[in-house]
Amino acid sequence: MFKNEEMEINMGPQHPSTHGVLRLKLKLDGEIIRHCRPVIGYLHRGVEKICENKTFFQGQVWTDRMDYCSAVANNLGWAEAVEKLFGITVPRRAKYIRTMLNEYNRLASHLIWLATHALDIGAMTVFLYAFREREAVLDLFEAFCGARLTTTAFRIGGLREDLPPGFEKMARTFQARFLACIDEYETLLTENRIWKKRTIGVGILKADDAIAMGVTGPVLRAAGVPYDIRKAFPYAAYDEMEFAIPTKPEADTYARYLVRLEEMRQSHRIINQCLDGLPEGPVMAKLPKILRAEVNEVYHPTECPKGELGYYLVGEKGSTNPYRFHVRAPGFINLQALPMMVEGTLVADVIATIGTLDVVLGEIDR
Amino acid sequence: MPNMTLSQICVMAILQAIAVVIFIFIVVPLTTFAERKVLGYLQDRLGATRIAGHHVGITGTLNRGMWRMGKLPFFSIIRGLPVFVGDIIKLLVKEDIIPDKADRMIFMVAPCLSMIASIVVFAAISFYPGALFTFPKAFPVVGGLPFTGCISDMNVGLLFILGVASVGVYGIVLGAWASNSKYPLLGGLRSAAQIVSYEVPLTLSLLVPVVLSGSLNFNEMTLRTATQMPVYAMPLLFVGFFVYFTCGFAETNRTPFDMPEAENELVAGFHTEYSGMRFGLFYLAEYINMIVVSALCVGFFLGGPFLFPFGLHRFFVGVPVIGAPNALWFVLKILFLLFTFIWVRGTIPRYRYDQIMAVAWKYLIPITLVELAAAAIIRFAA
Repeated sequence: MFKNEEMEINMGPQHPSTHGVLRLKLKLDGEIIRHCRPVIGYLHRGVEKICENKTFFQGQVWTDRMDYCSAVANNLGWAEAVEKLFGITVPRRAKYIRTMLNEYNRLASHLIWLATHALDIGAMTVFLYAFREREAVLDLFEAFCGARLTTTAFRIGGLREDLPPGFEKMARTFQARFLACIDEYETLLTENRIWKKRTIGVGILKADDAIAMGVTGPVLRAAGVPYDIRKAFPYAAYDEMEFAIPTKPEADTYARYLVRLEEMRQSHRIINQCLDGLPEGPVMAKLPKILRAEVNEVYHPTECPKGELGYYLVGEKGSTNPYRFHVRAPGFINLQALPMMVEGTLVADVIATIGTLDVVLGEIDR
Repeated sequence: MPNMTLSQICVMAILQAIAVVIFIFIVVPLTTFAERKVLGYLQDRLGATRIAGHHVGITGTLNRGMWRMGKLPFFSIIRGLPVFVGDIIKLLVKEDIIPDKADRMIFMVAPCLSMIASIVVFAAISFYPGALFTFPKAFPVVGGLPFTGCISDMNVGLLFILGVASVGVYGIVLGAWASNSKYPLLGGLRSAAQIVSYEVPLTLSLLVPVVLSGSLNFNEMTLRTATQMPVYAMPLLFVGFFVYFTCGFAETNRTPFDMPEAENELVAGFHTEYSGMRFGLFYLAEYINMIVVSALCVGFFLGGPFLFPFGLHRFFVGVPVIGAPNALWFVLKILFLLFTFIWVRGTIPRYRYDQIMAVAWKYLIPITLVELAAAAIIRFAA
């Protein structure tokens, strides 16, 4: 008399919690997810192809627009990949400033992750608290390069300008209060019974599955794998910095939350070291006016806030453009694990899982 | 009401009803405004401060006035007050869309059902166990009669309240079903299950004051629970208050139990397809429900018009001001509970659907059953 049917439902691309234009095709049995397939491409602009038609100097502007929540980290990857391709050595002061800004960017990105993740689970106050601190970080970017979101912060060979006067004071003020702010978020969430109920045991991605899927970043580290490019293949000035790689064995949403919070504290530590040990000297290497490539290829991985951001560049003899440009976007690869994490769970867990993967569609679709 | 003619009864009922409706329609928009402001201040921002049309015309004058007012220490809190009027105007004049595939009739009736159910409850709620004032003798028809602020002082008041309030869920379920859309359907199913589940501990927790006071009449229950409780019944009222208030969050679909409209999961839940004033009715019904829940809570657990909650009043009988009943205490306590609704919304995340059910069936219902048994024993012993 009655028949059971699975309900197909579209979550996104216009949905408050799919972080942009992610679309999920869900098959629901009641509230239980039986089948989940992410559909992407709604924000595809062809950044890789566009960059192949731009000079090496122009390409960086496009990297801002990939992961727009962590533009500085994207810029750093591009600048360093090109420097690797041409064998340019960056002055030590520039490396320090790059490292510092990159870590500020990690703070900004993790703050926006915390804000939206908490909002998705229903804790709306954390959202505004986290945005308050992100605002201060963006002010620092603005002081440094004039832009808040699409920074194009670095130049190939170093920086366009040194730090502006007053920057250090701004940064120190922020440093002085930021740790207390993380504690404030923790008072709202970490021991909150509802928060724990919503996150512990939700969206589990075990270490071997994560490695098989190529998942990197905090998601991998929360599964107990201490893989961090900053330690594994140091770049910028990370080999001179002292910091720990937080890991957790539980591999669930709560573990990823704790790992990211601890990463923010470590970033804070790295920034302090950068500010204290900032060497004197030039910020720009001597460069020819036009960069003409040899036949050469590089793959340069960096630890972007979301995971391993790899730039693959192929040079063509005599050309001012890259012959081939490919981005290994961490969000794109982490998103692959979503169906594995949510199938068999409830609708509300999908939201928590999308949040914990920290996807940014600009980077996934490129 | 003793010895009243039919016309007197009718006129009194109408007058009191008008007074209550005016009260509702002043308090409800103010609550929505308070929600913006309280949440704003909780979240380190200002909340609403100005209305559309920043510089020109009437709104411009208002905005400039509010801007100046904002510089005064206390008035900065109520800056932006005209926003609630703007909200109502917006809801009224917005285009009202009924989806093509919707069941038009039910789609239109559902929000009214929610709204009516929540307003009618006020018929049995009393803010003061006696006359607020008496009409002067010179008045036609009602001269010399007391104005109680309680439309009908019926002897089965609580039964009436529970019965009518539970009709409200039909508005949600029917509205969701009639939308003929997937997210509202999920929201409707959730709310059907949730509200039906929470009705059980809610009613059971209200039975505690019923058993203790031996009455179903709102005024008598308030009086007896507030003034005549033995000391060992007070912890029961205390626990009952928490259980009832928790269930109240679920009944009004507020965070952390806002499953039916969980905006981050189900877009807007059961009212996804609603717009304009039809959405406004759902929205207002939610706030009226908050007031109803707060009023019942104050009436049965927090001592009603007596300042001290849980029957503690008996220790303060005869003390001037704080020992005397006053409708003001009732209203202040309601406001405090409304503030708590907003406060909780700003503080904690949302439960998952299955966890909400677990809270009701595994914790609240056993607690209320034990409580009810204890209340019965106390009643029997007394």
